[in-house]
Amino acid sequence: MEQELLKLKQNAEEALAQVAGADQLEAFRVKFLGRKGGLLTGILRQLGQVAPEDRPRLGQLANDIKLGLENSFEERKTQLNTAAGAVAGGTDYSLPGRYLPFGKLHPVTQVMEEICSIFEGLGFAVAEGPDVETDYYNFEALNIPKHHPARDMHDTFYVTDSILLRTHTSPMQARIMERQDPPLRYVVPGKVYRCDSDMTHTPMFHQVEGLLVDRQVSFADLKGVLTSFTHKIFERELPLRFRPSYFPFTEPSAEVDVACVICGGSGCRVCKRTGWLEILGSGLIDPEVLKMVGYDPDTYSGFAFGLGVERIAMLKYGIDDIRLYYENDLRFLSQF
Amino acid sequence: MKFTLSWLNQFIATDGLTAAQIADKLTMLGLEVDSVAPLFADLEAVLTAKVEKVEKHPDADKLTVCSVDTGTEIIQVVCGAPNVRPGMVTAIALPGVKLPDGTKIKKSKVRGVVSAGMLCSARELGLSNDHQGLIELESQQATGMALVDALGLRDTMIEVDLTPNRSDCASVRGIAREVGSFAPATLKPLVASVTPLTGCNTGFEVEIKEPDLCPRYTARKLTNVTIGPSPLWMQQRLSAVGMRPINNIVDITNYVMLECGQPMHAFDFATLRGRKIVVRRSRAGETSLTTLDGSARQLDAEMLLICDAERPVAVAGVMGGLDTEITASTTTILLESACFNPISIRRTARKLGIPSESSYRFERGVDRNLADSALERAVNLIVELTGAQADPDGIDVYPGKIPPQLLRLRVDRVCTLLGTELSRDQIAQYLASIEFKVRPLDATTLEVEVPSFRVDIEREIDLVEEVARLVGYNAIPTSQPVIRMDSPKQDPLRSLRQKAAHIMTAQGFFEAINYSFVAESHLDLCRLAENDPRRKVTRLLNPLSEELGIMRSLLLPGLLENVRRNINFQRPDIRLFETGKTFLFNQEGGQPEERLHLCAVVSGRRYAESESLYFAAQEADFFDVKGAVVNLLGTLRITGTENTLTFDSEPQQVQPYCDPTCAAVVRNGEKTIGFLGKVHPETLKGFGIKQPVYFFETELDALLDIDRKPPCFTALPKYPAVKRDISLVVPDAVPAGDLLLAIQSQQQKYLESVEIFDVYRGKPIQEGHKSVALSVTYRSTTATLDDQSVDKIHDKIVNTLMTEFNARYREGFEA
Repeated sequence: MEQELLKLKQNAEEALAQVAGADQLEAFRVKFLGRKGGLLTGILRQLGQVAPEDRPRLGQLANDIKLGLENSFEERKTQLNTAAGAVAGGTDYSLPGRYLPFGKLHPVTQVMEEICSIFEGLGFAVAEGPDVETDYYNFEALNIPKHHPARDMHDTFYVTDSILLRTHTSPMQARIMERQDPPLRYVVPGKVYRCDSDMTHTPMFHQVEGLLVDRQVSFADLKGVLTSFTHKIFERELPLRFRPSYFPFTEPSAEVDVACVICGGSGCRVCKRTGWLEILGSGLIDPEVLKMVGYDPDTYSGFAFGLGVERIAMLKYGIDDIRLYYENDLRFLSQF
Repeated sequence: MKFTLSWLNQFIATDGLTAAQIADKLTMLGLEVDSVAPLFADLEAVLTAKVEKVEKHPDADKLTVCSVDTGTEIIQVVCGAPNVRPGMVTAIALPGVKLPDGTKIKKSKVRGVVSAGMLCSARELGLSNDHQGLIELESQQATGMALVDALGLRDTMIEVDLTPNRSDCASVRGIAREVGSFAPATLKPLVASVTPLTGCNTGFEVEIKEPDLCPRYTARKLTNVTIGPSPLWMQQRLSAVGMRPINNIVDITNYVMLECGQPMHAFDFATLRGRKIVVRRSRAGETSLTTLDGSARQLDAEMLLICDAERPVAVAGVMGGLDTEITASTTTILLESACFNPISIRRTARKLGIPSESSYRFERGVDRNLADSALERAVNLIVELTGAQADPDGIDVYPGKIPPQLLRLRVDRVCTLLGTELSRDQIAQYLASIEFKVRPLDATTLEVEVPSFRVDIEREIDLVEEVARLVGYNAIPTSQPVIRMDSPKQDPLRSLRQKAAHIMTAQGFFEAINYSFVAESHLDLCRLAENDPRRKVTRLLNPLSEELGIMRSLLLPGLLENVRRNINFQRPDIRLFETGKTFLFNQEGGQPEERLHLCAVVSGRRYAESESLYFAAQEADFFDVKGAVVNLLGTLRITGTENTLTFDSEPQQVQPYCDPTCAAVVRNGEKTIGFLGKVHPETLKGFGIKQPVYFFETELDALLDIDRKPPCFTALPKYPAVKRDISLVVPDAVPAGDLLLAIQSQQQKYLESVEIFDVYRGKPIQEGHKSVALSVTYRSTTATLDDQSVDKIHDKIVNTLMTEFNARYREGFEA
């Protein structure tokens, strides 16, 4: 009996080592460990016929062998499952995970929020203003009287003679300054409108306006703040250049170019071979504008800037057609 | 503003500077260069060549076969030009060259004879209209040379995008003046000397009736003028900057305008009645003037006119009249060089819809002191180029003469505003480099005389800007402002919108942004009643198109257009939302009321972006939208007065664009705060959508007014909960939610929560009824509940439901 048990153990262990695949493993289980007709079960059944004094010892042995084989069987099973993995009827890890996907914010919103949060980090507050503005705030308060040639720079949608769709977010400059005294720091995100529609223009787009007013604010400060901003938004310390320009509500006025994010400044199609991309307009707030809101320009100075959100999003993401922004095609929206 | 390098060099030498360097310097001075383009680039490969031998073509009368020396070889060319002859030096285009008219030269056979190139006429080369024969070069001209060099045509066109303040740079000489700030050369004058105009014996008169609108008018008469084409070099310069050559007199007035910025006009003197020029507004009865483009222009009393003794002959500063224009038979001309009020010109040019090169300059301001020297320049050119005689004297009426403008410039003001250190003398030097006259008043102040051409400089700050751009913006240091800290207030509406948008995206919705202006037809498609306040829209006076004519009063139509577009592009499973302003009438002539709305749409399959392996293709329905709403409002902590939001059908409040069989409102207490349901089939049809669309809309401004429950801690339970299920059969009309409310309103002890876990209609439930299964959770905060105490309460609850809803236990289901 003892011999039989030991022999069975040896046979079983050898057989188990030979097993390959789930089918053979199952055959092994039936042959050796099966409750009906399994070899071990067969031997155990004979235990009753053994002399009573041997029973405890042989019973213990048989039980140890049984447990040992069962353990080996489980081990082998795990081994085989891990090795054959997916194929062997276990978990197929290549199948997709199960989840309910998020939607996404519009790329313009994403970039606009990012711009605002960079300035919020610098202590700027965020304010928003009306889309349908008065001629006064959109033009007059910004030193653009009626019949000023600078009005040609703004293709304006009118509602009445004196009500219009704001052509920039700058009207909020006057609205903010009218209601509080310096020091102040604001950014104004929002929709703006120009009657212009072609490959590179949509009649509605987004701007973020910024202004900072205090005593002794200088052009050098404007350069510093806009340099910090540009480095953050493009996540790189790209070279910048400030170029004289003209806006009736700032003086000196500057346009800011950043080294082309596509070619790095060597010249490509996007930067029209100049190596530079214009990204924002800025300047020291014109004394006339300060006077109109009741600030003394000899006491206070400040700077203002405005940037086009779509333009920055295009550069950040490589979008090449501005019209895609307002078609709300899911194939587009899901990319960002 | 376009100019050529050679033209620029006529006023200032730029030796040692390339066109690209000049362009870069100008850009950094604030004259942004848009393009730098070599002229006659098409002709780069056209060479000079000498015709050696000319023989008749064996097979064509009008053709010749020529041997041509191209400088490197002798080739055979078939030619049709009548003026071809041996010894002639002309231009040849060899195979591979593309001529300006698009002709591509190939080696070919012409009537059986090989032709290895093409001898060209001036017209074929795009040099002039001359197509009489081959272009003829000087006989000693070397062969094999680039034609552009042989003709001295090599030149570069530079285009500057002028800002509206820099009218002084709307001329080649103005640009040259700026170049003078960085090029080591002096600016040359426009003319050597100016004939004094005294008005004696001129044979005509000038009278200015509106000195405010015409501060200066100069004129001079020229006789024996022969009208013809202007010389080739002038035509080429005009063409290079985009101006069409017309005749010598018109070309010269245009040329002088481009050169110095003074618009000019020439009248045929013989057609002027009464030998008199009167500058005045139109009189009653003078309603129309035919301008030289042939159109009859409506005049109004505001417009400034140039008239003869009897009638208007030109719209001042905008366009001349047809009756007095220069024609082929003109022999005597009156040349005008005047100055007009910018606002008046701008108004007139706008009103007539004829922006011209002349009005462009007058609108932005022309130097009053320029009129006489510009007139002199034009007279000199006419005399030189047409053989005309100029009258020795002319007229200069100058009622608007003003003394030079003197400005004070504080040195410390410059330094503080720019954030840089500059000395008084450095500043003076910068300004002097662009012809400002500067003298020190004291150690820290300069007195600056503004040259009359700088009409944009009126204040100290204008001088600060001049200094800044001459220093160079990039040479100004970079610093950070020193400003008191503060903690800015958050705009609550903005925070709410940001949160709402994030919750929507977390629920699988993509954010859309649509134009604020929409088609008015949307209102009809949304079936709005005639008196619906959303029909009182804000209308644009000058929309881009009918489709973008009104400011939106609803967000849904824009999203429905997006739904259609996505279906068309095979993305029929849609979850979109938009937060945006709607515009509603407020008061007559005032700004509309702007309210921030949120609208969401769901269409197609429920789990569009999810793996179809796990998520069967189920169509989304009302409850997808309702779930999104509950989740949105709940996360925003808008949870109703009794801790539940109410969803209800409210027949009076069904939106016209909502299907009445699937239309609900969501209420917070008594107040309706949103609408949801299925979009009305007719509205969908109108938008060309064939699948059901469910929507939700709310006004974020209104949500802001709701007291939102602040987060508040509840101690975690220490004792286990006991769950009991009930399954009741109730009449179909009983809303399942009412059972929940009935349970909650009993406010039984230990009742923690209750939820619906099954609703079933059909066999074996009798018709007109449904079975609703509820799961009730009980818990005590002080002890573990025993069955007995739970049973007591549970029985009470069940009994109440039985009587209140005429319910009974569902058979075969044990509570």
